Amino acid sequence: MTNDLNLRRERGNDDGGGSFQTRANTLVKAADHGTPLELGNITIRYGGGKGGAEAVSVVEGFDLTLHAGEMHCVAGRSGSGKTSILTVGAGLTLPTSGRVLWEGESLESMGDDEIADRRRALIGYVDQGGALIDGMSALENVLLPAVPDGEVEQRRDMAKDLLDLVGLGRRMRHRPAQLSGGERQRVAIARALILGTRVLVVDEPTASLDRASANRIISILKDTTSDGIAVLVASHDHELVRLSDTLTELI
Amino acid sequence: MNAVQRFIRSKVLLLTAAILIVAMCLSVLVQNQSQAALNRTVDENSRGLYDILVQAKAGSGGALVQPDIANGQGGISFDQLQGIRDLSGTSVAAPISLVSRVTQNLEAPRLEAMDYLGFNAGLVGTATAGQPGGTDPSKWPAAQSVLSETPKKYRLTASATSSDGASEKTLFKSTAEGTLGKARLVEEQVEGGNSIRIAGPEGETGIKFPAPAGGSEHNLFNLSVALPMAPEVTESVVAVDPVSERALLGTSGDFLAPLEKAPPADARSAAAIGRHFESLFTNGIGMQELEEGPDFLGVKLKYWAPLMTQYQQAKRSGELTEDSQAIPLIVRSGTSLDLKYSVKIEEIDDSGNVVKEIGTADRSLDKDYLPFVSKSPFALSWPGSTDYSKLLGNSANFSRGLYSPATWSTNFASAPKYTDGSTAGNGATEKTATPGEWVTVNRLPEKTAGGEPVDQTQRNPVDERSYRENLETGKKLATPLAMVYGTFDPAAVQAAAGDVNRLPLGGYDPTPMTLTKDAEGKDVPDAALKPSLSATGLVSQSAGAITDYYGLAAARGYEKNASVIDAVRVRASAPGSWKQAQPDVEKLANEIRDMGLEATVVAGSAREDANIFVPGYSRDDAGKESALGTVQQSWVRQDAADAVSGSLTATNLTLLFLTLCGAALLTGASTVSYIRQRRREAGTLRAMGWTQRRIRSWVLEEFAVGAGLLAVAGVVLSLLSWNLATVIVSASVLVLYLAAAFFAAQMLRHREEVDQEPQHDERLIAVDSPLTFANRQLTTNRFNAISLAVAVGVFGAAVGGLVALLIDIPRAAGASALSGLAAASVALPSIVLGLSGVAVGLVLTLVTGRFELQAKRQYLGTLQAMGWNPDMLGQVRFFENALVGAVAVPLGVLGALGVGLLLAPYAALWAAVAGLVAVLCWIPIATKVVQ
Repeated sequence: MTNDLNLRRERGNDDGGGSFQTRANTLVKAADHGTPLELGNITIRYGGGKGGAEAVSVVEGFDLTLHAGEMHCVAGRSGSGKTSILTVGAGLTLPTSGRVLWEGESLESMGDDEIADRRRALIGYVDQGGALIDGMSALENVLLPAVPDGEVEQRRDMAKDLLDLVGLGRRMRHRPAQLSGGERQRVAIARALILGTRVLVVDEPTASLDRASANRIISILKDTTSDGIAVLVASHDHELVRLSDTLTELI
Repeated sequence: MNAVQRFIRSKVLLLTAAILIVAMCLSVLVQNQSQAALNRTVDENSRGLYDILVQAKAGSGGALVQPDIANGQGGISFDQLQGIRDLSGTSVAAPISLVSRVTQNLEAPRLEAMDYLGFNAGLVGTATAGQPGGTDPSKWPAAQSVLSETPKKYRLTASATSSDGASEKTLFKSTAEGTLGKARLVEEQVEGGNSIRIAGPEGETGIKFPAPAGGSEHNLFNLSVALPMAPEVTESVVAVDPVSERALLGTSGDFLAPLEKAPPADARSAAAIGRHFESLFTNGIGMQELEEGPDFLGVKLKYWAPLMTQYQQAKRSGELTEDSQAIPLIVRSGTSLDLKYSVKIEEIDDSGNVVKEIGTADRSLDKDYLPFVSKSPFALSWPGSTDYSKLLGNSANFSRGLYSPATWSTNFASAPKYTDGSTAGNGATEKTATPGEWVTVNRLPEKTAGGEPVDQTQRNPVDERSYRENLETGKKLATPLAMVYGTFDPAAVQAAAGDVNRLPLGGYDPTPMTLTKDAEGKDVPDAALKPSLSATGLVSQSAGAITDYYGLAAARGYEKNASVIDAVRVRASAPGSWKQAQPDVEKLANEIRDMGLEATVVAGSAREDANIFVPGYSRDDAGKESALGTVQQSWVRQDAADAVSGSLTATNLTLLFLTLCGAALLTGASTVSYIRQRRREAGTLRAMGWTQRRIRSWVLEEFAVGAGLLAVAGVVLSLLSWNLATVIVSASVLVLYLAAAFFAAQMLRHREEVDQEPQHDERLIAVDSPLTFANRQLTTNRFNAISLAVAVGVFGAAVGGLVALLIDIPRAAGASALSGLAAASVALPSIVLGLSGVAVGLVLTLVTGRFELQAKRQYLGTLQAMGWNPDMLGQVRFFENALVGAVAVPLGVLGALGVGLLLAPYAALWAAVAGLVAVLCWIPIATKVVQ
């Protein structure tokens, strides 16, 4: 690594069952703008239910404190648990153990409805590949998060501005099938930002994209941090890793 | 990977082939089972004791026929009977005729009050010593009486009532008053010595009802009060040929055997036979003979005493002429006639006020009553009385019997007239029965035994619909004397006739009627109507006795070869089931028709309940007639077996067709699913340089594996069942599958994507709620949404079809008893078939629903990630299914309606409702599944 990121990697102890235990330390480089997202001692295991399958430990003892205006990258090989950490951070799944704090409040004390409401106000999630809804134009996709609050019309101009911002002002009436992979990612980012999100959680935004498209995505993500938005991104894109304020590499 | 491996990997194709094979097996199996069960039931229950009913009058084919076949109208001669017997196809030809209505007075009823003076050798004399079973004088109890030492005043109210099962009618009520007391012995000096007699106490007036009743008297064991005469009882007599009747009934007809030993026509002189029995009495008769009855030409005549006493009575009154003949009879055990005779006893003071209710003594005609032979004297017992007459020992049968000869009349009552009404949805025919004419009954004899005129005002003659002789025109003929040869048990005959087809019993027992609705049309608790002495002319009385045709000649006086046979019941010699014997039975019927007679084929007929409205049933004092209501009676539906067989077979075929339709839709749905799965693969293969032709082969090879499996299953099933329907079903399924294969291959052709236009469709509804989101999703995936809606519609239609089927089963072949049995026998297979239709519909919705299940879960996850809460996600799922349901509702309802119309038109509405409910129920189920 040649960037200014102070990084330390540790090989997890082999538990003898073939799984890797990952432990990472995150170092803060940027100034503290508050901590909208904090993960403490997160452990994620899959399986081991009634079916008798052996439990697979994906993440073990993961800690992260994400500050406003900071971009943190979770890197690692495929299957190392990057997406799992993101879904836990976005409150889409609960960890096997550990704490998830949104602006200092633990998700454990919240019900499903409250988590959904808080997520809408706090977190914008961008899935791998964008996960746009077929049959709806780019603009309609961007406006979807406003539906629960009944603010579709109020946010229409903002949605157009966001699409302009991500360079899709002329493509806002096109459907996902008519957009390229990079364009879909940008629409997804615009959609994640529509409600004034404070944390952007982005999963593999540059995967399968050409360099130019990937750079454009990276640029957009970097720009959002300047607005005080914290970005948690999972990627093994070197450029993205380089530009991140902090990095966790899962081994 | 070869075609077989690809076929197995393609779960949709594998599943479809498996479902089609199962559906094929099930439908063929059910069809065969159902048809076999139907044929078996129809065969077993539609060939009764005889196959053809021959009558003189014209009948109508396929009609509902009243089961009474003996009506006294005759029309068939003995030559014609012989002609029928001579036909090669005839096994048994059993004639039957109504001989006569016979009216007789019950012996004068008496009220016996225990007034026993104890043993007194002087009075009883040697009577007890010689009586078999007589009690030793030392063991006689002390004197007892229910009467007081000093006479008390009593009021006796005698009445007779008769019930038709629906209401009771008082036939007469008569009152007499007087004093009664305990008897005493009076010793009197008479010429030559002392005389002891039994007399009433001092001051006793006795009780006497008006003539023709006698007064009261004290005797050895009781005080006996003569009561007003009981009403006349009328029975009918039918004539049969005992030999052929026994052949028809089998062992159940053994009761007719004594009749075969009856003397020939020229040896039945009532006077000669009467003298024969009189001589037996004069010459002395042994006790055993008295018990069993004297032998008369090889038959022990247990009930010989009534014949002798009636002979003596007729001789005294001059009713016995040279034309009088003895008529051998087999009499019925019991009677279906309702009659209750009762006497209310009250102790009163001099002013006529009631001091004490003593009680009511009553007696009814019941199963112990034997027509023509009163098995037990018609005596009533004073409450608290004991009958000490048994102390004398067994007096055998001699004292039992009706003492006066019965009146034989051929003045048959007019039968009710039946007119057809509307026909119900299940084929049942509504009818109206108008009772016969009013006649006046319940009159007293014109004169007493002593010749004095009788006061007719003590009874109120009632105008009634009557099956009895018309008393206005009654005419005395030469009096025949009943000669009882034995008895028969009607229940045994009924059991032999069977339940489904009661025609053989028609001559003996009219089928019962049950009142089901009152005159206002309201349901009433079922009440079996029975003949009563206030009879309506609606319910006929069962035959009280059976005689032979010489007996009919004696009663009616016909000449040789007169056409006096009402009907001939013919059993064809053709063996086997109804279906097997049908050609021979039809041939025999045609040969009989060629003789100028009406031949109704009753093989293949069945009982059917007819609902009959009865107006003008009763009349009040002002003469106003009122209706009885609706009664139900089993009639006979001709050709019911054909109708049952035909309609239930049609139902089965319809179900089979519907199952095939379901299979076709399932195949279509799975094919669409397959196409969607393989489209990407086809594109990859195309990119690898595969030609269109090669891709088509690639697809068809996979389908060919399934087609091969289906073909093998079809051949195996066809060979196993050896049935054309199986071949057709198998071939249809195979054709469907192959058509689907070619459709799939066609659909996987490469198409250029040209849609690069931005979305500017103003018709699209803006997405601003779960509902509009769901709507947009369905609009976007229009093809799948419609496929799913069709599948749900098919499911609704299948449920509707099942409901229609369940409702239809009892109706399928009309309203006959046979149809009920047949429907019950095919109910299970039909329900299995219907349920399999529902299962196919459900599988169809699941298979079709799975097309988009993954995609749905994906975008629901995306919405969740955007912060849509669980409630809103639930709304999206619900609205999607609700919108599909909204499209499916008309399909389901109309489909169910159509299926209902095919299966059971009158149940179509219920089928439609069931289809609607099924679709509505699917919505929450599908919502849950997507979750």
